[in-house]
Amino acid sequence: MEFLTEQLANWKFYLIGAYPEGPLTGLTLNIVLAVLSITIGLFFGIIFGVGRTSCRSYLRHPCGLYVDVIRSTPLLLIIFWFYFFLPVVGAKMPLFWCAVISLSVYASAYQAEIVRAGILSVPLGQMEAALSTGMTRYQAMKLVILPQAFKKMLPSFVSFFNSLFKSTSIVYIVGIIDLTRTGIIISQRQPNRIYAAYICMALGFWISCYLLSFASQLLEKRLGILDYESYKPEICRQDLVLLPLPKTVKRFLVTQK
Amino acid sequence: MQSMKILNLRYDFDWSIPFREPYLGWLITGVELTFLIAAVTTILSLFAGTILAVMRTSRFRFLNIPARVYVEIVRNIPGLFWLLFFYFVFPQMLPFGLTDILNRYTYYSVIAGILGLTVDNSAYVSDIVRTGLLSVQRGHIEAAVSTGLNRFQQIRYIILPMAFRTIMPPLGTRMIHNFKNSSLCMAIAAPELTWATQQVESITFRGLEVTFLATVFYIGISLTLAIIMIRVERLLKIDVTSVTQMRT
Repeated sequence: MEFLTEQLANWKFYLIGAYPEGPLTGLTLNIVLAVLSITIGLFFGIIFGVGRTSCRSYLRHPCGLYVDVIRSTPLLLIIFWFYFFLPVVGAKMPLFWCAVISLSVYASAYQAEIVRAGILSVPLGQMEAALSTGMTRYQAMKLVILPQAFKKMLPSFVSFFNSLFKSTSIVYIVGIIDLTRTGIIISQRQPNRIYAAYICMALGFWISCYLLSFASQLLEKRLGILDYESYKPEICRQDLVLLPLPKTVKRFLVTQK
Repeated sequence: MQSMKILNLRYDFDWSIPFREPYLGWLITGVELTFLIAAVTTILSLFAGTILAVMRTSRFRFLNIPARVYVEIVRNIPGLFWLLFFYFVFPQMLPFGLTDILNRYTYYSVIAGILGLTVDNSAYVSDIVRTGLLSVQRGHIEAAVSTGLNRFQQIRYIILPMAFRTIMPPLGTRMIHNFKNSSLCMAIAAPELTWATQQVESITFRGLEVTFLATVFYIGISLTLAIIMIRVERLLKIDVTSVTQMRT
């Protein structure tokens, strides 16, 4: 295990790079990329997701086309598109913003799908009831449907954030120094012990993803979404009233909370 | 031409580039390798994922815990890491003679890509298959036990066929995802389609045409796969109403 203690000397390089003096690199860059792209993606994802469930075909079909095209393109090619195409149009951007744009385009398509599933999971009667109270469709969507849908969408948002965070490691191919590139650079310094840097790289990703999935489990419990595997029906005292059994046996049957 | 001026493109497209000789050959090899990698990883990860899922649902600790640990480790690490791992680190961990043989082998990058993608994908497949195994009704398993089938026969003839029918939609999505992930093999210089486009771009400085063609290829194949999956789902669906009508 001595190689781990040796690598611990590089902890700053793995986490933030030379941040206050130099550019931000390492694991923090991955987190920043993921957070930025998921917030931008959420904004467009709601627009496209609501557009996909619209009853007007001139809104529904373009949104569906966008989502289908982006979802069936590999993320690597989306990154290459923006990497090569933005200079051609005349927009000169730093690499970081190039990555943020491509990741948020990718995220918006997937989140549109989540939003659509959430909206469709709200019973149709809710919309009808909202319309019959005199709300416009916009008001009904904003005040009645979306708040209900969001509660159902939250777990899938968190799991998508997890997968997006892992996908941010791809941006190293266009030359952004994120955790993956940091690990490769450090591994090239010690060619006889490549595995040490790779294990540290994997640990960085693993710990942050594991914490995230742990947080999502807590969130699901808080929201009252049941984990169906560990679900056991509870037996209350009222259920046993009609059973002709002595009280001591009944008390034994009632599950304690 | 007018639209080009409005967009202010500093680029004139030359569509003959991807069809010129050395580049066309690279692209065709790339397409072949993309299909090869996607097909082999799909089959391998289906087998590995099913075995892992059966292990995870088993009662024995020594089968249960290793499978759970594997899935927990792999699911929380990006797929790209496994490709890099199998390309750079794995040969070094082998005894000395094997390292040299692997490093000298030209297509080791393809093998490393297949291994890495399989490791990544099998964890997700095992998660999907496990939900299928858990969704099989208790009564069917009890019926299988009472007809005298042993545990292996129950899984092989009763549980897995029914589980695979229910999990067909998520499994299809996962396999399309796996097909798209095969583009990551570019990072370890496996000469598949994305790598070929980058090679053309780095030699001719004309990346847009080739990237466009590759994008169209990926979209076309993914959508075709999606349509095929929908057909297969319909084919495999047990139509409950028709069965009850036949009985009456």
